[in-house]
Amino acid sequence: MTSFLIGLFIATLIVALFTMRLYRLILWYSLNSLSLALLAITIGYSINDNTMILSGFLTLVLKAILIPYILKKVSVKFGLSRQIKPNVQIHYSIMLIPALLVFTFYLAEPITNMMVSNANYVAISISALFLSLLLMIEHKNIAPKIIGFLTIENSLFLLGTTATGGMPMLIELGIFFDLLMAIVIINLLFHQEEEEGLE
Amino acid sequence: MILYTTTIILMIVIAPLLPSFMKMVKMTLLYKKPISIFQGYRDFSKLLSKEIIVSKETSSITSMAPFLVLSPLILTLFFLPPIVKGEYFVSFIDAFTITGLISLSTFFLMILGLDSASSFGGLGSSREAFISALAEPAMILTVFSVSLMADNLGVGQASINLNNHFPFEHMASFIFAGISFFILLIAENGRIPVDNPETHLELTMVHEAMILDLSGFYLMLIESASSIKFMIFSSMFASLFMPFGLHLPIILGVLVFILKLFFIALLVALLEVNTAKLRLFKIPNLLGIAIVFAFLSLITFYVLGV
Repeated sequence: MTSFLIGLFIATLIVALFTMRLYRLILWYSLNSLSLALLAITIGYSINDNTMILSGFLTLVLKAILIPYILKKVSVKFGLSRQIKPNVQIHYSIMLIPALLVFTFYLAEPITNMMVSNANYVAISISALFLSLLLMIEHKNIAPKIIGFLTIENSLFLLGTTATGGMPMLIELGIFFDLLMAIVIINLLFHQEEEEGLE
Repeated sequence: MILYTTTIILMIVIAPLLPSFMKMVKMTLLYKKPISIFQGYRDFSKLLSKEIIVSKETSSITSMAPFLVLSPLILTLFFLPPIVKGEYFVSFIDAFTITGLISLSTFFLMILGLDSASSFGGLGSSREAFISALAEPAMILTVFSVSLMADNLGVGQASINLNNHFPFEHMASFIFAGISFFILLIAENGRIPVDNPETHLELTMVHEAMILDLSGFYLMLIESASSIKFMIFSSMFASLFMPFGLHLPIILGVLVFILKLFFIALLVALLEVNTAKLRLFKIPNLLGIAIVFAFLSLITFYVLGV
């Protein structure tokens, strides 16, 4: 089950890299967070850790429902362009993404050798980190960059969940509220881009 | 032996039902009066009774190629994974052979399109070559990664192994292979995001453009070849990516298998209703996703599995 959800996590991330539409990208982000939340709940249930289950539910509510909803509402409000064209052409990213994956799996090998349990998930979450960096790099518009930032946070959460068996509750809560604040600040950035678009 | 022959005859008999079923579902969802599910058989019997008209510009290829399109596909049906327990013959062939046989059939279809020297035929053939060349590497990678998970290179034995012992530790890799194979199923059979099977508009058609000159018996052969091709892909999807039900009693097992086939057809029909056809130059992107997922499933097999 865990392996299935990790597969879904990285699959949604890769499909997001190929997306050319903004609302579709937000949908993929939401599915990505959904699989992450289910993963946290499953792992928390199996190791009997209540705080991890709680943070899983928080992820479900905040990242899978609330943040995509706010992002969509804001982008409708400011009339952002729905076409997002990546700077890196898709033909190149077909070559780039597998190369990146092999590179990160190879990179993570020393770490996975040190780990005792769930060692291989670390490799997946580090590669998810790099893929979301690629998502930030390959777009010029602000909205996909935001989504890239949010997926970086998702993959860090995955790293924390699978590698350490859950970060302390206080840190998790702090990160969640930071994210919400970041979304509020992003609002202002959207506003600025809209003004630039008008000129 | 009897069981083996019966299942293959059953597959050939069911094959025309699936495209009619997809069309039926689509028409129902679009609030049209749906066609009967037996429309495929009716079309075939209508085409059988019509005369064959061959353009006088064509060479002997036109009279040979329809048989050569159909025969590799029929041959592939014999090598597919078994659908019930205790079958006489479990095939040993691997990804290369299946892909090779399917592309042999595609090759003769392209020759057929070029033969009558009409502009539509050449157009359709070049598009078909473009699509099938991109689909092949993904197909080989996907079937290989499933074979690795099932611990056997032969497709038939791989399906039996997956039924006996499902590798839950390779679930992620399995999903990637499934996504990739589903994209291939759509691309190779010319369903909507890649090709629209229902129009005769020169901008969109791929498969129809190659067979515009045919009539009567030859057209029937090509049509049955395309329905058998869908049968091959959906049956491989059913036995490799939905590995259950092989150990049921024979009649029940066959029923479960047929249900799986109709479920796949339903999925494809729902996808067709919900998406628009892609531009021709965006098809490499879709097939690129298939290649990335196939490759990813191979890597994650080594990374996650051990």
